[in-house]
Amino acid sequence: MTLNASTPPIAVQALSKTYQVTDRAGGFGAAVKGFFKREYKDVKAVQSVSFEIAQGEIVGFLGPNGAGKTTTLKMLSGLLHPSGGKANVLGFTPWERRDGFLKTMTLVMGQRNRLSWDIPAADSFLLNQAIYGLSDAEYASSFGELNELLDLKEIIRKPVRQLSLGERMKCELAAALLHRPKVLFLDEPTIGLDVSAQARIRAFLKEYNRRSGATILLTSHYMADVTALCERIIIIHHGQIKYDGALSDLSRRIAPYKLIGLDFDDDTVVDLAPYGQPVTRENEDGMQYVQVPAEKVSAVTARLLAEQRVRDLTVADPPIEDVIERAFHE
Amino acid sequence: MLQIYKRFWAVNWAAQWQYRANLLMYLAYWVVSPIVFLAVWSSIARAQGDVAGLNAGDFTAYYLTLLPVDIVTASITIHILASKIQDGTVSNALLQPVHPVLTNVLVDNVAFKALQLVLFVPIWIALVLLFQPPLTYTLGSLLLSVPVLALGFLANFLLSGIITALAFWTTRVFAINEAYFILANLLGGSFVPLAILPGPLQGLARLLPMQLWLYFPTQVALNRLSAGEIALNTALLMGWLIVLFMVFRAVWNAGLKRFSAVGA
Repeated sequence: MTLNASTPPIAVQALSKTYQVTDRAGGFGAAVKGFFKREYKDVKAVQSVSFEIAQGEIVGFLGPNGAGKTTTLKMLSGLLHPSGGKANVLGFTPWERRDGFLKTMTLVMGQRNRLSWDIPAADSFLLNQAIYGLSDAEYASSFGELNELLDLKEIIRKPVRQLSLGERMKCELAAALLHRPKVLFLDEPTIGLDVSAQARIRAFLKEYNRRSGATILLTSHYMADVTALCERIIIIHHGQIKYDGALSDLSRRIAPYKLIGLDFDDDTVVDLAPYGQPVTRENEDGMQYVQVPAEKVSAVTARLLAEQRVRDLTVADPPIEDVIERAFHE
Repeated sequence: MLQIYKRFWAVNWAAQWQYRANLLMYLAYWVVSPIVFLAVWSSIARAQGDVAGLNAGDFTAYYLTLLPVDIVTASITIHILASKIQDGTVSNALLQPVHPVLTNVLVDNVAFKALQLVLFVPIWIALVLLFQPPLTYTLGSLLLSVPVLALGFLANFLLSGIITALAFWTTRVFAINEAYFILANLLGGSFVPLAILPGPLQGLARLLPMQLWLYFPTQVALNRLSAGEIALNTALLMGWLIVLFMVFRAVWNAGLKRFSAVGA
């Protein structure tokens, strides 16, 4: 299969995956019965999913646990055979697992280790150099670039088991990117990291994408990852795509309302029910919030200013977490 | 490709050293059962004068030769890989453009036995001094046993790769391996030298591959086989190598299609 400039690096058509899982009740009787006769049920993890991703795009692949995100990424990286449908990644059918395909993509699974725990990461990097057939010059240049972005020099000399989670994740990312893949599948790349380590990994991914033009499909439960990196998101739930479009359009399409934040003179608590739906927010900034339909914002704001002694007023989009949560369940 | 094997060697050799205490325990496990068989059979032979033409000295020489042969040709593939297939962590290796079994796992096996041999040699010398077996090695028989051992290891490695790949289908692969292990010890020449097995069972054992990495190399080293017997067994070994390689490839590829990569 050939790949020309107009072919998207990732194209998925009606991709499906059904798992067969054993099904038995708890208890001794059921265990004995299960020993002689196993019962199975089908779980449709991914159901006829289709999308295309253009070269250089960073797309957030979102959904609650068990939605089918990881299963989709595993099919696209060649680990799983689908039950149906087609996928084309860089001109290859992923599950045929050709060397040419494996050499041009990478899958990073958060907290999963590619590195051997018993030896310094530097040794695993050299192993990857051989596995991916990088010349010394290619390796030096690729490592130099990753070192510049991730500051690896010191940490790669320690055995991996002695690294902190943040340090290990940096090394995992570097190991996964040494061969300069053109397509990156990232499954929860910042999971378990503290806020500053998350921010560093995000900055790195953004810069890597800018420099290399690599195409990135990433899943994350951290909305900060998504808002920092992805202009486009795909939302999947129960194995089906619920939304595919710009992150900025999501609020408008899924949750066409705004939040008006109010601070009243003398810190009075005002009953906001006549103006819209009062909401409690967790940030405890001392303000009261009311949710109103987007088209009524100016009218409600005018009423509030006329009827109440307002000291401060803000109008904001609903938090992205709420919008996505709503999108999952629509 | 050579560079890939060299790097895998560097990584696995370094990693094996981290587990040398673990290795000593494995070694104890490896040494105990042949010593028990040695003691049992040589006592019986001493009491009866001989067993099927083998005297106490023959049994001692046989088992003290079988010991290093077993270490060299054994495969630990199931211990390296089966749990990774079951818990999905083999995914990491499957993402790389090399065959995980024919590169990393193979080299890991070799690194394991290389270090095991380093620790085993002084134990073996002590056992030889203790039992004083009539070792009938010649320079020629020892040199000839080198390629026989290498081919025997490869065949055993492929068979254990086939058993390990069953982990794609069943979570009970260690139970299957235990059953196989007992059968292999019986038909390979560990429980008894093949010559003592009853007729039909002995005929079957000689055709099956297990004796080709236990009994056959031991007899080659002890210089107890004619040129014709060596040629015949080597041909059989080559034939089994081809068959086992083809079966391994088919089972592995079918396993990958079934792989569900759960939890990883």
